[in-house]
Amino acid sequence: MIYFDNAATTPALKCALDAFVKTNVETFGNSESNHAVGRAASKALEGAREDILEMLGLSSTHSLVFTSGATESNNLALKGAAIKYAKRGKKIITTVAEHPSVLRPLEELKDLFGFDVSYLPITKEGIIDPNELKPKMDNEVVLVSVMAVNNEIGSYNKIEEIAKIVRLFPKAIFHVDATQAIGKMNLPYKNIDLLSFSAHKFGGVKGTGALIYKKSLNFIPVNAGGEQEKGFRAGTVNVPGMVAMDVALKYSLSKMKESEAKEKEIYSFIYSHLITEKEQIIMNSLPLGESQTPFVMNFSLIKKKASVVVEALSNKGIYVSSVSACSSKEERSSYVIEALTGDEERAENSIRLSFSPSSSMEEAKEFLSAFDTILSEVNDR
Amino acid sequence: MKCDYIMIHYGELSTKGENKKVFISRLTRNIRHAIKSFPNSVVTSDRDHAYVSIGNEDPSALITRLQDVSGIYKMSLVYKSSKDIEEIKENALDLLKEEEGKTFKVEAKRGDKHYPLDSYGISCALGDYLLDHTDKKVDVHNPDIRISVDIRDDFAYLSSHSYLGEGGYPLGMNGRVMMLLSGGIDSPVASYMLLRRGVRIDCLHFASPPYTSSAVIDKLKDILKVLNVYQEDIKLNIVPFTKLQEAIYKYVPEPYCITVMRRMMMRIAEGVAKNDHCLGIATGESIGQVASQTLDSMVTINAVTNFPIIRPLATSDKLTIIGVAKKIGTYDISVRPFEDCCTIFAPKKPKTKPKISEAEEYEAKFDYASLVQECIDNVTPIMMVGGEEKIFPKTDNSDK
Repeated sequence: MIYFDNAATTPALKCALDAFVKTNVETFGNSESNHAVGRAASKALEGAREDILEMLGLSSTHSLVFTSGATESNNLALKGAAIKYAKRGKKIITTVAEHPSVLRPLEELKDLFGFDVSYLPITKEGIIDPNELKPKMDNEVVLVSVMAVNNEIGSYNKIEEIAKIVRLFPKAIFHVDATQAIGKMNLPYKNIDLLSFSAHKFGGVKGTGALIYKKSLNFIPVNAGGEQEKGFRAGTVNVPGMVAMDVALKYSLSKMKESEAKEKEIYSFIYSHLITEKEQIIMNSLPLGESQTPFVMNFSLIKKKASVVVEALSNKGIYVSSVSACSSKEERSSYVIEALTGDEERAENSIRLSFSPSSSMEEAKEFLSAFDTILSEVNDR
Repeated sequence: MKCDYIMIHYGELSTKGENKKVFISRLTRNIRHAIKSFPNSVVTSDRDHAYVSIGNEDPSALITRLQDVSGIYKMSLVYKSSKDIEEIKENALDLLKEEEGKTFKVEAKRGDKHYPLDSYGISCALGDYLLDHTDKKVDVHNPDIRISVDIRDDFAYLSSHSYLGEGGYPLGMNGRVMMLLSGGIDSPVASYMLLRRGVRIDCLHFASPPYTSSAVIDKLKDILKVLNVYQEDIKLNIVPFTKLQEAIYKYVPEPYCITVMRRMMMRIAEGVAKNDHCLGIATGESIGQVASQTLDSMVTINAVTNFPIIRPLATSDKLTIIGVAKKIGTYDISVRPFEDCCTIFAPKKPKTKPKISEAEEYEAKFDYASLVQECIDNVTPIMMVGGEEKIFPKTDNSDK
């Protein structure tokens, strides 16, 4: 099996699973219970919280809410903060290439609460131009939400530069969806007010994630009904999952340099091969560089149908991603690729490869050979 | 008042002459099979009715199960009484009291011709008694409640409630056909129509990996799980269609691709049907629905086989078909979005009036016969029994 769909999810790391099982067995209590078993769970949870903040260098400036993952974190960050600070202003700025878990909540804020949401375009590099943000900023802006690494093309926004611009407007809160970046690369964490992520993208267990927020910030809970997580997120906390997240993050960060070097090698190898097949393939991601990470690579098929090629790869035990296993009745395409290229057909036939620290050059070679065979065998669309 | 039996009124038996015995014995067997999870119920039958004893089973669960058995027109919950007229009166009164409604009618039948009262006499005696003992009124034309009494040689049978069944013929009475199952909305409905007509089905699916997703097979299995309610064991034959389809795409002009593809499908269906001892081919086609389903197309497609091609939905409109699909529970499965082999190679302008001569001319461009035979020889069978996939025994057609 070759699994190049790590942007969708990763297998849980053994160390994370061990911690998950151990905590479930030994520290199974409800972290809110007022007895020794509960207090032990609470201690484990607070330990994980402190640990994660410390690893990111945020112990003194930020706090953390445990959530079920990035989708919940994004909802909590955007709805929670926008509604809380609605009196400051009604403008929200985001980008066209955000994940739906950012775009949808913002649409709700627009439709139900009358916020004015504007969308920054992306450049050929798949990122926003900070100079486009500047003229849009004013004292009415309450929230700016920009993803770190794009989940479809692997492009990396200039977070530090954007943070500096937002900083000039003290009423504006800067939210970053770091789902595809955390544990894989360094981010200017200190400059970010709200940071969302999921653990299952770096070897944690599914259903776990967090929202990191500046200590001075406040927001309305999306899940109300209990005093857990300082009232920001009601519901019994998945203590074993969060302990596992801590372990997975620690492991990923400790291996970050060598993982990144390996993924860069794989990325460059596959990229340099695919770019030669000019009749069949057009690249959507750029070669590695300041704005292109080695975690996600995207390209479109010129003649073949992406869903067919993905199915053919799947039948050979190679797992990559197309926008959707779509039918002709319900054709969907990638809005990110369409925003990037302005080409609908290219957006419908895009393929995403996403790597992990456990990906190898042997897999890359095997993938390319299978891929070439399939391209020569499968009929054109 | 606890009922003793479910009396089963036979379906389209009135149209049957000599096959009556076959009908009854087949239906009795099917009923026994359908309710084998009700161990305390016993099935008996005579020339007029079948009876299912209720024992300590739940009558409404039994009725629900029996409503999926084809060949049953109607079911009544029946109470067994002694033939003493006074006792019948008391029991009829008990039955009536349990029913909601303002008006009633007594319908009496006398199988035992030696009974002292005739049908009319029984109706009058019971009617008078019931009128005197309840506040309900008689309405012989449009009653809210019908109390029926059947005086037999052994006992009197009373009932006040009946439920409609599936109708049609007992499954297995009318042979077996090879049903072409795409995974769309229509073919499961066509299958259901055949099953309630007493026709057993084997299914045939054309898979074109990687142009079709392997998820389609899971979808088909889910559809068959639903149809297993009507036919407990259904064989699904998967045809490896990719090579032939690619050849069609290569040699045949685009407007004729679908026509030729359907002709190939019929050739393969005939071959597999013969191997499986089916007497015909069935499809979910409805006249005019798409280009390949115009009458002109059907003529050109039919021309490749002498096998009867049954199209249960030929004259049904889409909304009716969707209605049935929702009723039997296949609709939500069918609308899951996966490619089937008809949608992937769909030409932009398919021929709506294809000609046999032209189809033949294009087919002559390649050696389709060996590709068709390859498809027939390499069919993979999947057996769905009672909602579960069973590992299929090694193919061996010699002993069939």
